[in-house]
Amino acid sequence: MADAAVLIVGAGLAGLSAAISLAKAGISVRVVDRAPRPGGAIHRQPLPGVRSIASPAQMRRWAGVMAQVERHRARIEILCETGFGGLDYHGVALLTGKGVALFHPRALVLATGARERVQPRAGWTLPGVTTAGALQSGMKTTAEAPKGRILLAGSGPLLLAVGAELARLGSPPVAVVEAGRPFSHPVTAMRLPWSYLTEAALYLARLRAAGVPVLTGHHLTGITAEGQELLAQIEGPKGSRSLRVDRIGLHDGIAPNDLGVPDCPSIPVVRLGDCREALGARAALADGLAGGERLAALLLGSPPALATPKVDRERVAQGDLAQIYAHDGLKYLATQPAETVLCRCENRSLADLRALGPDPTPRQLRLDGRFAMGACQGRFCAEWVGRLAVPDHAPLMRIGADRWPAQPFTIADLVDAPEDV
Amino acid sequence: MTGHVVWHGRRVAFRRGESLASALMAAGVHNLGQAATGQARGVFCGIGQCQNCLVRVGDRLTEACLLICEDGLIADPDAGGRDG
Repeated sequence: MADAAVLIVGAGLAGLSAAISLAKAGISVRVVDRAPRPGGAIHRQPLPGVRSIASPAQMRRWAGVMAQVERHRARIEILCETGFGGLDYHGVALLTGKGVALFHPRALVLATGARERVQPRAGWTLPGVTTAGALQSGMKTTAEAPKGRILLAGSGPLLLAVGAELARLGSPPVAVVEAGRPFSHPVTAMRLPWSYLTEAALYLARLRAAGVPVLTGHHLTGITAEGQELLAQIEGPKGSRSLRVDRIGLHDGIAPNDLGVPDCPSIPVVRLGDCREALGARAALADGLAGGERLAALLLGSPPALATPKVDRERVAQGDLAQIYAHDGLKYLATQPAETVLCRCENRSLADLRALGPDPTPRQLRLDGRFAMGACQGRFCAEWVGRLAVPDHAPLMRIGADRWPAQPFTIADLVDAPEDV
Repeated sequence: MTGHVVWHGRRVAFRRGESLASALMAAGVHNLGQAATGQARGVFCGIGQCQNCLVRVGDRLTEACLLICEDGLIADPDAGGRDG
């Protein structure tokens, strides 16, 4: 196995920078990604023939990564439109899609990025309601804004970024509903890295020029469908109001996309970038490079102690950002109507959770409640079910142990996979 | 435009390399059917994590946001049955 490649799941900043570090150390890697092109969420590439809407700084960063990849191309194999199902006990990985194979890597790097946190609200399962990130991915691939009146709601800097992008592409959102009060913390804000501030200033300038109201301290508490339209209920300091729109983009922050990916007794498994700790693009690049170097040293038998000052800086900055955006919107979770869906996969509601009685255990939540048991492995419900079930649990209760698969696959995928070991 | 897919019997144009979800949204199609649980199907996360946009292609359900369009592709809404 010593000369087998390292398998890297995710061809974004963390995955490809880890690939570069490993290749530099003489270790071959196979990088898989479900998307048609490398880039991940941050550097999602446009369709063939479509111009990129990335900023010059983003383009420079990605071009730098891809130049390094090209330089070490002899040791870096990238398979797109290829999924990763999981590892068996012996460390054999199931790859699905274009790169379908049973593959025995020397080590596994999970660089699967972040997932969006979206607090459940009445009507959040209606067609036309997506994550704000989904709107952003769409704009990055097509360079076009979605059609119709769009509302952005929740909390976090991404809402301003998506709003500004919509405005730039000629379809400014009706409003940005932000639960926090990010402009009321100037002292903390001044501690942020300069690049964070200039980025925020650019987004705000674009939103202002397009006349988009940014409603801070406001909460989108529920959505109803009226014909083809969506009616958004908004609570603010001066009372409630409703807005009639066509599309809604929700976002309440990001978290590691690390569900359903347990360790394996047979080979080293490391998590890098947002999959390890959701600190954003700048940290993902540094974490991937350093993590790749650490793994190379481990595999070659010379473990060094590497500090990652860039990652540490981003951790401080993200902590400051969390303070700036802190809000009390969680109080609207428990007061949603009983039929509000929590688990989208299994269609399980707040009433279904309450039927489990007080203080349900993780086992009850899974086996009786069917929470975090659906095809998404709890990526969208587990956090909120945990917060509702055991409100004072710190750190947040994790509902059950991680189990494969990392993504749904069919029995045919498994049967058809040729052995490539 | 480089071709058409057939969604629920209706021709929908797509651009080269575009996902089925992207082509359907550009055509104003947001309702992608209904899961066996009664849950409405539609694009939510857009990047293959939430499993909310499963549609039927041939004999299997697949994520519309990950499926790259090919000319003549036939896709239908999830009719609420079990994967078969």
